[in-house]
This record gives sequence, C-alpha cells and structure tokens, in this order.
Amino acid sequence: MLIKSPIHDVHEKFAAKFTEFAGFKMPIYYSSIKNEHITVREKVGLFDVSHMSNIWISGSDAEKLISLTTIEDASKIKNEMSQYTAILREDGTIIDDVIFMHLNDEYMMIPNAGMSEKIADWLRKKAKENNLTVKINDVSRNYTILAIQGPDSRNTLQKLTDTDLNKIGFFGCSYIHIAGKECIISHTGYTGELGFELQINNKEKPEVLFNKIISEGGEYGIKPIGLGARDTLRLEKSFLLAGNEFKDGRTPLEALLNWAINWNHEFIGKTSLLKQKEMGNYERLTNLLCLENGVPRNGCEIQKDGLKVGIVTSGTISPCLNKGIAMAYVKSEYREIDNILDILVRGKKIKAKVTKPPFVKKDWAKLK
Amino acid sequence: MTNEIRDDLKYTDSHEWIKVKDDIAIIGITDHAQSELTDIVFAELPVIGKELKKGDELCVVESVKSVSEIYSPISGKIINVNKKLEDNPEIINENPYDDGWIVEISITNEKEIVNLLDPKEYKKLIE
Repeated sequence: MLIKSPIHDVHEKFAAKFTEFAGFKMPIYYSSIKNEHITVREKVGLFDVSHMSNIWISGSDAEKLISLTTIEDASKIKNEMSQYTAILREDGTIIDDVIFMHLNDEYMMIPNAGMSEKIADWLRKKAKENNLTVKINDVSRNYTILAIQGPDSRNTLQKLTDTDLNKIGFFGCSYIHIAGKECIISHTGYTGELGFELQINNKEKPEVLFNKIISEGGEYGIKPIGLGARDTLRLEKSFLLAGNEFKDGRTPLEALLNWAINWNHEFIGKTSLLKQKEMGNYERLTNLLCLENGVPRNGCEIQKDGLKVGIVTSGTISPCLNKGIAMAYVKSEYREIDNILDILVRGKKIKAKVTKPPFVKKDWAKLK
Repeated sequence: MTNEIRDDLKYTDSHEWIKVKDDIAIIGITDHAQSELTDIVFAELPVIGKELKKGDELCVVESVKSVSEIYSPISGKIINVNKKLEDNPEIINENPYDDGWIVEISITNEKEIVNLLDPKEYKKLIE
C-alpha cells in the first residue's frame, strides 16, 4: 500500500499525475516536466517533498551521536544552522545522505524517502553501543515538507511572514511563522536555485499553507512542481539521488563528497575511507555531457575503445542545455576533463565528454 | 489533456495512427499518446529499407522520464523517416498528425489494414 502525502488532495485539485517513489504516491508532474523545470530556473516553484523523513535527535549526547554517525563534526554546526552530510557503514559505504538542523537543544535530521526506520534504528543502535544519552523520535508521518525554489522564492515567501528572510543565510534554519503557521524554515534545497524548505506539523493544516504560497506567488508565475522536474533539476546540478548514486555501496570518496568529510573527528567508516584514500585507484562519480543525440539512463555502460570503464547512475536530457547529461561511476584513469567516452544506449554508442560539475552553472536564467 | 482524433486516419490499440495512400502508409503516434508521454526529448528512428512485420518495434521515443516503443501497425518496408525528429523530437508533441509523422512504409499486406481501429473505435478506447 503506497503512502500518500498529507496534502494529497491538493495535488488532485491541481490535476497532478502521480508516480510511485520509495513507497510513496507523489506527483510526478502537473503540466509538463520540462515546463516545470524551467519555471524553477527562471521564476519560482513549490514542491511537496513529504516523502522525505523527519527524525528528532535530542538528549545530552545528541551532538556526539551525530558526529559519530556522520562525516560531519556536529560541534562545528552552530545553533540555527543546517548541514548536508552522509551516514556511513563501518566499511565506509553510504547508508543515506541527510540534512540535519541544529535547533536549540535538538537536531532534526532529514533522511531520504523510506529511510526513516532504518536510520532511526541505526542511530539507536549506535547510541546504545557507545553509551550515549539520546532520544530518537521518528516523526516522519507527522510532518509535511514543502520546498519553495527559484529566483523569486524569497520574494514569494516574504509576503507571508514578518521575519526578514534576508537574515536567514545559506543553510541557516529557524522556527518561523509563515501565513500564521509555525514551521521550521531552512535556506536549503535540491535544485541549485535560491530556495527554502519548510517543515510543518500536520496539525497546522499544511494544505492551507501550500495554497497560500501558490496564490501569493501568482505575481511571480509560481507553479506546483512534481518529482520529475525535481530529478532533472538536481541532475543538472550534479546532486546525488539516493536510489541511484549510492544504492550499491558507494563511499563518499567515490560519490565526490570529499568536501563534506570533516576528517578532524572520529566517525563510523573513517578507517575504511582513509584506506581507500591511500589506495587511490577507485571509481569516481563523473559528469558526462553527450555530444550526440540520445538519452543516457541508469544502467547504461560506459566504454572506451570497446572496453567497459564505467556505468551510468543517472541520466536525462537536460531541459536547460537540451543535451543528454549523465552521472556515471568511471574508472579513475578515464575521467579527466574533456576525455571522450562512449555511452552505450540500446546497443548504440553515443559520444560524451567528461565535464566539471555542475552541468548547469549558477544563475543560469540570468546568464543565458 | 488533448485527445484529437482525425477522421481520415486508422488507429491501433497501442496508440499509433496510420494514413494509407494507395500502397504507401504514413505512421505516427496519436495526440492522446503524445499527451500521455509529454515532453518527447528523443526519437530513435529506424533505418530506411528495414522490413517490418505487423507489431514489430518501429522506433523508440523517449520523454524526460520514460522510454516507449512504437510498434508498426501493419507489415511493410520503411521507405522514408522524418529526419526533422532527430534534432526536434518535440514536433511530435506539437503536431502529432502532420509535422510529427514518424515513418513512411510501403505496404506488403493490404489485408491487415481492415483490422485497424477506425476513429470511432479508437475514441472508445481512450475514453
């Protein structure tokens, strides 16, 4: 039985087409993926991402537990700041990538869709093994999560709150009232555009908030956006998708999350990562821009001179570039920038060039 | 959602249309099909000269999210493909019955045409 969003009826009213994603029935698009994609790049869009998980971590050792179980040193994350990080197994492979928010004495962690039980159990287990005093509360089904993303996202939200949103810096977070409803706001997102994410308790009637944001955003051309565009938007920015980029046991070094690893603290998986780093010769996530027509997809083989050198984990036609783009794990010796590789699509080779992430640069709409 | 159905065409239950002119037929996908697929981003066209049996895979069209096979409504030999679709596959969305045609075939078995759906039958199917 698929789980519906707490505001499912709103999507029905907006005539959404639905898809199954990690056990949830969520909108894939309302009008068209391409159209919604460009709306977020140029204007503003509103996403329901309630399929994501919410876990409260509190107690005197909450900070210690987060530091132990993620690649981030939580003591460095000040109050009212959030952080993107990853939870690893002992062998260094990624269980999930998450954002955690530091809100006074507690932390709210946002694991991926369908991961709440697994992560909550993992945190409880690690707390117990290390005698840490914490309380882990999986509240995923109590919260609706909205993401408002695009150049006019701040202008839209500002109409609904007295709090000056310019004061919430990148990755800042805090309690806030929006349209009279208590939310947790964070200056975060998955689109690479200016944007905010809102955690709102279902008791607060989040469907009313969704509709208010849509009506206030009217002057900026706001639209509801489905998971289809969410996927193409993140792919253009080379952001990882849990089910694709690390489902088969990839480490943060392979997934190019080096920047997110804080080596100056002890964490689960660190020993394995140090070993891998020393060995050096491992596949790494690589951006490929297609030079010929065709659509790379998850599972397509990457070849050089007929030999397999990698595999595509995510691919699509970029709505901004109108070209095929792919993220792929490629053997380290074949992933120099500008190197030409072949992507095998239904037995046909498509030439593609290794490029630097992201595919679509910041402020694309202004610069195009 | 658009669902235009033209009176001068025949249809299949897999949402292709076919326009027969003597021993030649033009094939595409219906307005309903393009609307269901949305945002076609790629069309992999067949090679001219290829012989197909009724129901064989004719070509592949891809939308942002999905890959869909298009089947040949009747048997025939491919004599022409719509080259414009190589660089502008979105023409199928914009104009599925005219500029968005996919292939032209020479018919090898006229009798198969009788079994195709007429506009009324196709309308019933998609309602």
